[in-house]
This record gives sequence, C-alpha cells and structure tokens, in this order.
Amino acid sequence: MARARRLERKPMFAVVVTAVFFAWLYLPILAVALFSLNDKKSLSTFSGFSLRWYDDLVHNDALIDSLLASLKIATVATVGSLVLGTMLALGLERVRSRRGRVIGAVTLLPLVTPEIVTGVAALLLFTGVGLKLSMTTVILAEITFSIAYVTVIVRGRLAGVSLEVEEAARDLGCTPFQALRLVILPTLVPALVGAGLLVFALVFDDFVLAFFTTGVDPQPLPVRVYSSIRFGVSPAINAIGTLMLIGSALLIVAALVLPRLFGRGTSSLDLITGGQK
Amino acid sequence: MAVLDRRGAKPAPRSAQRTWLWGALLALPTAWMVAFFVFSMAIVVLLSFGRTTNDGFPAFATSTANYRALWNDVYLELFWRSLLYALATVAISVLIAYPVAYAVALHGGRYKNALIAAIVVPFFASYLIRMYAWKALLSDDGLVNSGLRGSGLSDGVTFLNTPWAVIGGLVYGFVVFMILPIYASLERLDVSLIEAGKDLYHGPVRTFFSVTLPATRAGLYGGVLLVFLPALGDFVSAQLLGGASTFMMGNLVQQQFTEGQNWPLGSALTVAMMAALTVLMVAYLRATSTQAQEP
Amino acid sequence: MSTAPMSTTAATTPSVSLRSLTKTFGGSIVVDALDLDIASGEFFSLLGPSGCGKTTTLRMIAGFSDPTSGTVLVGGEDVTSTPPHRRDVNTVFQSYALFEHLDVRGNVGFGLRRRGLDKATLNRRVSDMLELVELGDRGKERPSRLSGGQRQRVALARALINEPKVLLLDEPLAALDLKLRRAMQAELKAIQREVGITFLFVTHDQDEALSMSDRVAIMNEGVIEQCGTPEDVYEHPTSVFAAGFIGTSNLMSGTWSSGCVAISPTVSIPAPGHQGSAEGDSVSVAVRPEKIWLSDLTPAMFRLPGTIVATSYHGATTQHLVSITPDLTLTVLEQNLPRMRADDRWIPGDRVEMGWLPEHTVVLR
Repeated sequence: MARARRLERKPMFAVVVTAVFFAWLYLPILAVALFSLNDKKSLSTFSGFSLRWYDDLVHNDALIDSLLASLKIATVATVGSLVLGTMLALGLERVRSRRGRVIGAVTLLPLVTPEIVTGVAALLLFTGVGLKLSMTTVILAEITFSIAYVTVIVRGRLAGVSLEVEEAARDLGCTPFQALRLVILPTLVPALVGAGLLVFALVFDDFVLAFFTTGVDPQPLPVRVYSSIRFGVSPAINAIGTLMLIGSALLIVAALVLPRLFGRGTSSLDLITGGQK
Repeated sequence: MAVLDRRGAKPAPRSAQRTWLWGALLALPTAWMVAFFVFSMAIVVLLSFGRTTNDGFPAFATSTANYRALWNDVYLELFWRSLLYALATVAISVLIAYPVAYAVALHGGRYKNALIAAIVVPFFASYLIRMYAWKALLSDDGLVNSGLRGSGLSDGVTFLNTPWAVIGGLVYGFVVFMILPIYASLERLDVSLIEAGKDLYHGPVRTFFSVTLPATRAGLYGGVLLVFLPALGDFVSAQLLGGASTFMMGNLVQQQFTEGQNWPLGSALTVAMMAALTVLMVAYLRATSTQAQEP
Repeated sequence: MSTAPMSTTAATTPSVSLRSLTKTFGGSIVVDALDLDIASGEFFSLLGPSGCGKTTTLRMIAGFSDPTSGTVLVGGEDVTSTPPHRRDVNTVFQSYALFEHLDVRGNVGFGLRRRGLDKATLNRRVSDMLELVELGDRGKERPSRLSGGQRQRVALARALINEPKVLLLDEPLAALDLKLRRAMQAELKAIQREVGITFLFVTHDQDEALSMSDRVAIMNEGVIEQCGTPEDVYEHPTSVFAAGFIGTSNLMSGTWSSGCVAISPTVSIPAPGHQGSAEGDSVSVAVRPEKIWLSDLTPAMFRLPGTIVATSYHGATTQHLVSITPDLTLTVLEQNLPRMRADDRWIPGDRVEMGWLPEHTVVLR
C-alpha cells in the first residue's frame, strides 16, 4: 500500500499549516458561539455566561415561524429531490445514448451556475406564470437545485453496483421493475440516506434561492436572519446562528458517517475523497 | 447434425421490455429540469429585451435598451471589479488549498478522513452565518479591533467595507471547493513520484513545481472552476462585509430585483453575467484540455 | 463447419439448440450463424480466446442480448423473444453478482421466492442446496464476509436451485487462484453429475474445458471451429487454429504428395489416415510435443534425426527444442520418468533421433 505511506520527513510544516488553517476556519464560528452566551450585548468583551439570548429566541414568534417554515421546506425539498434525483441517476446509468448524455449535462448545470442566476430565473418563472411567491415556490426552486446533488451521489453508488447484479435478478425471475424494487433500490439505501441528509442541510441553510423565491410570510429562516443582519450585528443573531451551525454540522456529520455503517465505499466522504484504495 | 438452413433464419424480434423502464424513469426528472431550469433561463433572456411599464411592472418587449444601458463606465467598472475579486479569490484559494491538502493527504495518516470531514462540515453549514461571523469579528466593536486596542497595537482598523474584507469573505466561503479536488488528486498520486523528484531536484520547492503540481493538474483545474464561478456571482460577501465601493455584479443584480425594481435591466445584467461566465469557462476548458494532451 | 455427430433420437430433445444464431454489433459480426445442439445432462464447454463471441452467445441464450437473426431453443421451445425472467435458464456470472443486501439464504432462495413457493418448502430446498455446495453453516452470513470461493458457491447454488433446463456458467472460476480453481473444477463436475442438469460452461482456459467437459466447442471469431469430445478435439484437431489453441502443437507447412507431407526437399512425413487432399496441395501438419519420443523408439514410428538446441526442466517434464534444419525446430516434451539417470539427460548439441507414431501426424488444410 505504497500510496498511503507518509513521506519520510519531519511533518512540522504540515502540522503548522493544518493548525493555522483550522484556527482560521473555526475561530469565527467559535466566536459566534461564545458570544451567544454573553450576558451583555457586547461582541468584544465577554462578561459572563447567560442563556438570555436563547431565551429571547424561544419567545420570538416570528423567528419560530421561520424555523418551522425552513424545516418544512427542507423536508419536502429533500423528499422531492431524492425521488427525482434517483430516477434521474437510474435512467442516466442505463440509457447510454447521446440524448442521455445531454440530459446528464443539463442536470449538472445548476451546480455550476451562480445561485443568483438560478434565483433570478426562478423568480421570473414563477411571476411569469402567475404563481404567487410562497413556501411552495421556495420548495420548487430548492428541489430543482438539489436534484443535481442527489444524482451525483446516487450515480456514484450505482456505478459500484454492476450491471450483472441487475441481470442476475432478472435471470432469477424478476421483471425489470421488480429487479429495480427488490435489488437495486435496497443497495442504494446508504447513498440515499447520505444524499438526503446532505440536501436537507443545504436547503435548510440556503439563502440566495430562498431570498428570491420567498413570499412575505413566513420567510425561511436564513432570509429572516439576513434581514436582521442588515440592521447590524447583535448577540441575538449569534444565538440563532449558533443553533443553525450546530444543526447543520450534525446533519453533515451524519451524512458523511451514517452510510459508512452500511459498508465501505458507500458514503459521500468516500466519493469526495476518491475512496479508499 | 441438423442441416444448415440459412434461408430459413428469421430476423429475431426485439425484446421490447428492456429499455422502456429506464427511459420512463428519465422522463419525469427531465421534464422537471426543462420546466424549472431551462425554461426559467429562457424567460430571463426574454425579459432582458423587455421594458418597465408606467405602473412599474416588467413587461416583455423587443428592445435592446437594457443592453445598451449596460455599456457604460459604471457597469463596466463593476464587471472588472467582480472579475478581479473572483480571480483574487481563486489565487488566494490556491495558495491556501495546496499546503492544506498536501499536509492532510501526505501527512494525515490515520486522521486523514477525520481532518477532511472537519474541513468539509463547516463549509456545508450555512454560508450566511459564516459571513456574519466575520462581520461580527471584524466590525469596529468586534473582537479583533478590541484586541488591537486592548494590546495597544492600534487605535482600531477599519476592516469592513474594504476589498480585502470582501475577498477574504469569498475565500472563506469557497476555498473548500479548491481543497477537495486537489486533495483527491494528491490522494491518487503515487508518493514514490515525489520521493523520486526530491532525488532529482534536490529541493522541496523545485520538486513541488516540477513533480507535484503537474501531477495534480486535474484537481487544480477543477478547483479553479468551482471557486471562480460562484465567487463571480456572489453578492452576500460584498453586502455584509463591504459597501458601496466594493459592489459586485451580484449586488447590482440583486438591487434591480429589490429596491431598484427594474426587472428587465436586472435580467439583462444576469444574461450578461452568464454570457461572460460561459465565455470564460469555455476558453478555460479549451486551454486546460489542450494542456492535458501534452505528453 | 464441423460438429461431432450426436445421437439425437426423437425422444431426447436437446437442452439447448441454436439455429443460425447471428449477432452483429455496428457492422461487425460477433456471432456468425451458429448451429449447435447441446444434449440433456451434458457438461458442454464453449472454449475460445477473448472476443471470439462465446460470452455473447451465452448472453443470447440467457436472454440479455437480442440476436440479430436466428433462433434459440431451450428444451425444444423457441425462446428467442422470451424475456430472461421467463426462460427456464439460469446463469452463474463471472463476477458472481451476489445481492449484498441479503444473506446467503436470501440469495440462494431468491429465485424460488419469486415463484411463490411456500416458506417451508423453500427453506428446506435452500438448506438442501447449501449442503450440496458445502455452505450449510454459512446461511446467515452476508456475501461481503465470504471468501472468493465461497461466493462462487453461493452464486452456483442460487442458480442451480431453480432446476433450470440448462445452467449457463460465464467463466465462473476466472477470479480464483490456481489451487482453488482446480478444487472447484472437480467440485463443479461432481455436482453436475449428481444433479444431472445440463451445464453450458464458457471459458478461455483449455485445460479447464478439457478436464471437465463431455463435449467441447472451440469458437473463434464468431464461428465454431470444431465440436467434439475432449479427446476428439485434442487428438484430431480439424483446423490450424484448433491445433494451436488446444495444447501446443508443432506446426509445419508442406506439400501433400503420395501419402506424405513434404515439409522440405529432404523430409517427408507419412500420414496414412489422411483423406481429402489432392496431389500437390499445400497443407499444414501438426504433431503434439508429447507424442514425440527421443528414446525407446518402436519400429512402427516415423523417425527424424535432429540436434538438441535447448533444454528446460519443468519438474514433471523436460522440454527440448530440437532442430531438424536450420530454420525448422520442433518442441519435444519428455516425461521425467524414474528410469532416467542424471547422466542420461540430453544436453544442447547432442544428435538425437525423434520418433512418433504415424497416427499422431495430423494433417490440416
């Protein structure tokens, strides 16, 4: 396993570089968390522990509405993109024609398009069709954007399930549809779990798309937080921000770790890092 | 043995059940993407030729007024600024990503996956809050300034509302998209190549430029694209960490759809931005793929 | 095209019949008008190099590939347009293609469950089959925890349990190491004898084909070059390809003249049994290295003098390169029998006399 071998020299620079990087990466986040527990309004001097800002949150009806709205949006969008993304992944893996490749490319476009462009486009589409902006429009836009993530992750897993497994199912008496239901989909479950958790976190936190496609009330949580930030920094924002960060972090960690419990090579982490050799 | 009778061989019927299922599976998502993505883009292009009615509502038309309005100094300066910020973001990201990816990939050992996870997790958790975090840190009453004042180093530096704050925010937001591809490339690299290079080139720096960099080219090119594209169109960083003097294209677009209420102009801006992006991307892909063909 | 004669009385329908089976892929003919009958209960091998069309043929019999023309009959029934899940055929795939989300029993019983068998019968038959392939104690394990050889047996059990008219095996032993392969070859043969199901075995390993099969068909570039019992095919190859693909042969070209093949102005090899060539025809002649003797020659043997050019020791055998003329060298394979003493061995430079029985001279067109 020569490839995994470490280089034979003092890793001092490596340790320093990694330490500095992680400090830069986590310092702002930790600062946010720290000062959300401050008993005074200051964001530069920590005077004592207090949960008052979190207490305020709980009593902030508008914020709670937004939180619930975001949860609802994320849930529906996750289910929708999982269904559509999986259908897409299955179809693309098997349909090898020119048309299939074009469709594959088009579905990846949202990933390389700046969010502001998709946001504007979605806004124009909805108003052009006469659809009033609301949670529904946010959900529709988020699904469109998230399909690509699901497709990529599921295709990655699908590539590891050889064509022969599907043929074996048919050889043993399954119609193509039964083969899909009884053999292929069960094998995809780890990938679906990982993709689902990832999409949930992304949609929940998403700001730009939500900004352009939301109705007046209730607004998704990131949009409401953004409005507050426009007025200036405050510990209240620190509090809600900390909660959002913790929630997302837990989801992402779960997305990376859970599928691994199903076996090697099935988690998004492996897909990202190129897999273990 | 049965007689060969080629005359009687009939053409075999197509077994029709094989591909209908997969084609059917493609139909619904494709229809969705066409409706919600392709079609919506088309409307943006259409409205860019539109106008605003007297009541202030956007309407379709066939006027190039919006595009002509774009061709003036103010907008062009904005475009160049966005381009500059995005390029700076890419450059700084490369400078950060390579050492970090290198350190984790080649010296991470058992902790490699944990380290990568620790890097990835924050990046997928709320871009908005992380920009806010810097805003809070760098503001005049923020932690950094109070630290500077407290230690007597300075009376307070204005970090916010400067190009560097915006670029810093962009880097903080997108550097992971540079780290991951480079990391993946380094993972696939054969370590003995680097060791052989060190023998040949007698120095870590030269080894890096002559061996490591060319071998991880693919990751680098991917990372550049994945950082440049969102950075160019971003408006959150400029909005929260910058001001009027650091406006980017994204801010201008956002303005047209909120306070400015000039949707046709906003559409034209969006189309111009997409056109610029496409041109740059195509040129970039051309340049990098011809390089890849070199032995 | 030659196929060995087979006694097909009206009562014994072949398990598999191919009639003018053809497959073209974008302009090139991969399988060219194959005609074949495989008898019920036969262990039949389809042998050939990569790309000869053997796997494509298998897939057409299984139903995963549509023929361009021709028919496939299984048990006398035309199944050419029947989808795979309704054919009375089962396949053991090269990669085993096990269902990772089910345990061993779940995998093996999969086909039976699709047919709606009741739980009790299903469990009993699964247990019986697991006993047959010696995996009785592994029923509850996941495929990922099994070794290569064990996975192979699960794949076999999973296919066999459905009692198909014919079992298709696509190079099932290719992924196993040598020792395991030998063991599995013997096991497979024993299992086939015990259950009596027709096996159609695809392989590129001629050793495997020869040792396991009742009949072998050699395929090359989409056609069956020769079909017969292993001895038939080995001792009497009917084409240059067959002679070279199965085992090794010394191949020489010459002219047919008065019952002999003249391979040079001075050397003429008699071939008494050969028919069908006219005086003056160009022919090829093949002699197997192990048929050539360097000592204890009998009077009936054709003799040819030569010089040892090189010798290599292979444990059980010794291989010699003997030159007859400067540009004609024959390979001779000698068994290292105990009667040979150390100073008896040939060394390069020795003049020897080679001999072989005339019936071992094979003349090919």
